[in-house]
Amino acid sequence: MKRFGSFNIFSLIVGFSFLYIPIILLILFSFNESRLVTVWGGFSTKWYGELMQNQGIKDAAWVTIKVAFVSSTIATILGTIAGLVMTRFGNFKGRTLFSGMIYAPMVMPEVIIGLSTLLMFVALAIDRGIFTVTLAHITFSMCYVAVVVQSRMSSYDDSLTEAALDLGCTPFRTFILITLPIILPAVISGWLLSFTLSLDDLVIASFTSGPGSTTLPMKIYSMVRLGVTPEINAVSTILVGVVTLGVITASLIGRRQKQQVLKTQHT
Amino acid sequence: MNFTQKNSNFFKGIFTGRNAVIAIPYIWLLLLFLLPFIYVLKISFAETIYARPPYSSLLIWGDSWLPSIKASFDNYLFLFSDSLYIKAYLSSLKIAFISTILTLIIGYSIAYSVARAPTRWRGILLMLVILPFWTSFLIRVYAWIGILKTEGLLNLALMSIGIIEKPLMIMNTDLAVYIGIIYSYLPFMILPLYANLEKMDMSLLEAAADLGCRPFKTFWTVTVPLSIPGIMAGCFLVFIPVMGEFVIPDLLGGSETLMIGKVLWTEFFYNRDWPVASAVAILLLAILVVPIMLYQRSQEKAIS
Amino acid sequence: MSENIQFSPWLDSSQKPYIQIQNVTKRFGEFTAIDNLTLDIYKNEFFSLLGPSGCGKTTLLRMLAGFEKITHGKILLDGEDISEIPPHLRPINMMFQSYALFPHMTVEKNIAFGLKQDNLPSNEIDQRVEEMLELVELTDFANRKPNQLSGGQSQRVALARSLAKRPKLLLLDEPLGALDKRLREQTQFELMDIQEKLEVTFVIVTHDQEEAMTVSSRIGVMDSGNLVQVATPAEIYEAPINKDVADFIGDVNILKGIYKGQNKVGTQLFSEDSNSIVYATQEVGASVEDEMWFAIRPEKLEISKVAPSDDHNILKGTIEDIAYGGSFSTYHVKLDNGRILKAIRANRERTKEHHLTWDDEVYLQWAPHSAVVLLS
Repeated sequence: MKRFGSFNIFSLIVGFSFLYIPIILLILFSFNESRLVTVWGGFSTKWYGELMQNQGIKDAAWVTIKVAFVSSTIATILGTIAGLVMTRFGNFKGRTLFSGMIYAPMVMPEVIIGLSTLLMFVALAIDRGIFTVTLAHITFSMCYVAVVVQSRMSSYDDSLTEAALDLGCTPFRTFILITLPIILPAVISGWLLSFTLSLDDLVIASFTSGPGSTTLPMKIYSMVRLGVTPEINAVSTILVGVVTLGVITASLIGRRQKQQVLKTQHT
Repeated sequence: MNFTQKNSNFFKGIFTGRNAVIAIPYIWLLLLFLLPFIYVLKISFAETIYARPPYSSLLIWGDSWLPSIKASFDNYLFLFSDSLYIKAYLSSLKIAFISTILTLIIGYSIAYSVARAPTRWRGILLMLVILPFWTSFLIRVYAWIGILKTEGLLNLALMSIGIIEKPLMIMNTDLAVYIGIIYSYLPFMILPLYANLEKMDMSLLEAAADLGCRPFKTFWTVTVPLSIPGIMAGCFLVFIPVMGEFVIPDLLGGSETLMIGKVLWTEFFYNRDWPVASAVAILLLAILVVPIMLYQRSQEKAIS
Repeated sequence: MSENIQFSPWLDSSQKPYIQIQNVTKRFGEFTAIDNLTLDIYKNEFFSLLGPSGCGKTTLLRMLAGFEKITHGKILLDGEDISEIPPHLRPINMMFQSYALFPHMTVEKNIAFGLKQDNLPSNEIDQRVEEMLELVELTDFANRKPNQLSGGQSQRVALARSLAKRPKLLLLDEPLGALDKRLREQTQFELMDIQEKLEVTFVIVTHDQEEAMTVSSRIGVMDSGNLVQVATPAEIYEAPINKDVADFIGDVNILKGIYKGQNKVGTQLFSEDSNSIVYATQEVGASVEDEMWFAIRPEKLEISKVAPSDDHNILKGTIEDIAYGGSFSTYHVKLDNGRILKAIRANRERTKEHHLTWDDEVYLQWAPHSAVVLLS
């Protein structure tokens, strides 16, 4: 029985082409001299230059980075706690609701999340701005972190925690000295995931941001509505590059962690 | 050694350290995820007015001591009376359903192929699958505009090869929306499928072969049934969000493309009709509540 | 070593038990894992909890450690009630089945971990760690990480770590399960030596009855959440309290008998298998015609082709199977009524030809004091 036959190779080639050709074309045409998508006018980086002059884009990028950093850091803390609670705290009262609140944001349409969060801010007379966008981002990001941490904890050897307790370590110190160092790669990939989600979010940011806190996706969206321009390609390429670096880093960390887990498992 | 004295750190009752730990994320989610829905519900019963914010108050404080409630189902009645909304819900259901199926077929082939690939390649292949997912959603959808539009790259390529003479009008149609959805949501389908297929016990397939089952039949009678948890997870991860999808129908669809996410956005940002937008959201939520709960149940089961 | 023979504090009424498990019940939802169990363990005992999977022995151990909450009942350590005390405050240490070595710390740091929690001065910690490393003969491995150790080495680090704080009570959860046979036997004796040297009370959980018999001062046989018998290894082997215990430990032949009364030899039972009266020296309080059983260990059945001179406690049969075990052989003898009994005989002579072979007609005989009468 052929394990990896020609059908499989064919699917992979077609699949990956489908996935990557649009992105590659996008990157390619960010270097296009001509403004038109269908005419190659020669290699040029002038659009990147124009990008650097565009204050609107630069401001939006700065807002986005700030929001992403703050929200992913706080989301990682909250999400790690949530992931631990889900796996180690057993069947506490209100667990079903908690679990529902962790999983629902991952599938719920963003328009609903965005609208509801905004309406609450308005009703409570909270001014919309960087603060509110960050709050909204923390809320949905932490769910993703919780799921990542939960997944890591399910293959975590509980007897390590018990051994630490048995040797006199308080529960809190056990978490800091034993559990956290061991699950750290998962926590870091949770942070990277949150960062990317925040960087990328359009819908929720549109609802929850205010004057002066336009995010990069919002800016790009408003530009896209006006038509396809190589400037958009340029900013997109930069974003793609940044994210790719992040993913490769996370993937390498994940690889190393998996090897570590395998090595420490006794038969 | 008197260890009972050290015990005083552990005060009993509700204010334990353990409960405090649970409370931190719990309270956050209650306040910032669940509580907003109460507001949406409340405003869906309000009236649109010219004010900031543009909806009427639910509680009217008059002369009497208790406030009176001024709520109406007008917004909901409006949704049911104007066929646009019903059509939008049905259209969203249709589009979500069809794209889920298509994404499943394509996603399954890719996930299956990666799972069967030689072990040392799997990590890289998987990373290549995940990479687009981490790239901006907006950007990827945008990339398709350049390809699908009338003067776009697809038509250019097809016409220059000579397959077609007139450009295909894909842009701003439902077809473009399908392509966009499948493209964007493919990683969401592939990941849970792959996680399931990778863990599959190869010896089960070998046992089936040993008992005389041909590869094609083995696939349908052994592999697929065992991958149902992955299929379910993938389908939930596509169907539910696509129901409320906004960006893709907005950028790639036409005025004919009715999706409820777009309707909600329009009601809110363009018509400034917050109460109706809220009613739209509540109705959408009502439709999705059961699938969301099913998704949560299936995930909880998978972990335990 | 000779002290072990006289070591039996459970017989001494002036001795107070070190661990008192009093009417402890543990329920997981509907399922009762431990059912109203009472047990006393004395200082410096090497006590084994023995039983099949699911009998509750590990649950009991974890309750001693503090990882499971007690549903009903109390546990006292040296007179003090520790039932409510969390694990990190108990003066008890545990050696885990999976060893649970902290993967991100060296051997040294693993062993020092418990001492660090007590805030001991660092030179004292270093000294104690060195002592422990010497005790388990791993002095050269101080800077290795757990993933660089073999199974046997990991086990010794786990042991050293659990003894570093000089606990009064050490709990061991199937400590030798992952080791191969030779290493296991060697380690059993090492454990006994260490226990004696450090004067620590050991409570060990195992499903391996040979292991329990080798190392224990007393064994507690458990089944379905209950303690069936608590006694020394010899008592458990030679005087099991019921059929289940007899069957669980070692090989045994259990035959039915009908009580016919006592005479000067002892108890008289009518055995269908021999169609005659058999005798056991044990005194039994019962009524005539009561049904009961008697158990004979295979090594206590004399097997011979020659008919015995006296006529009591004899069974006749044919050899159906022989299992050659090197130092001894096991004979499966089929009686006339079809029942198969096991007899073991040491291979005293080196000759290739054994006196007994397949299909031989043989006689099985046992002394009256070799059988145990079991009422249940």
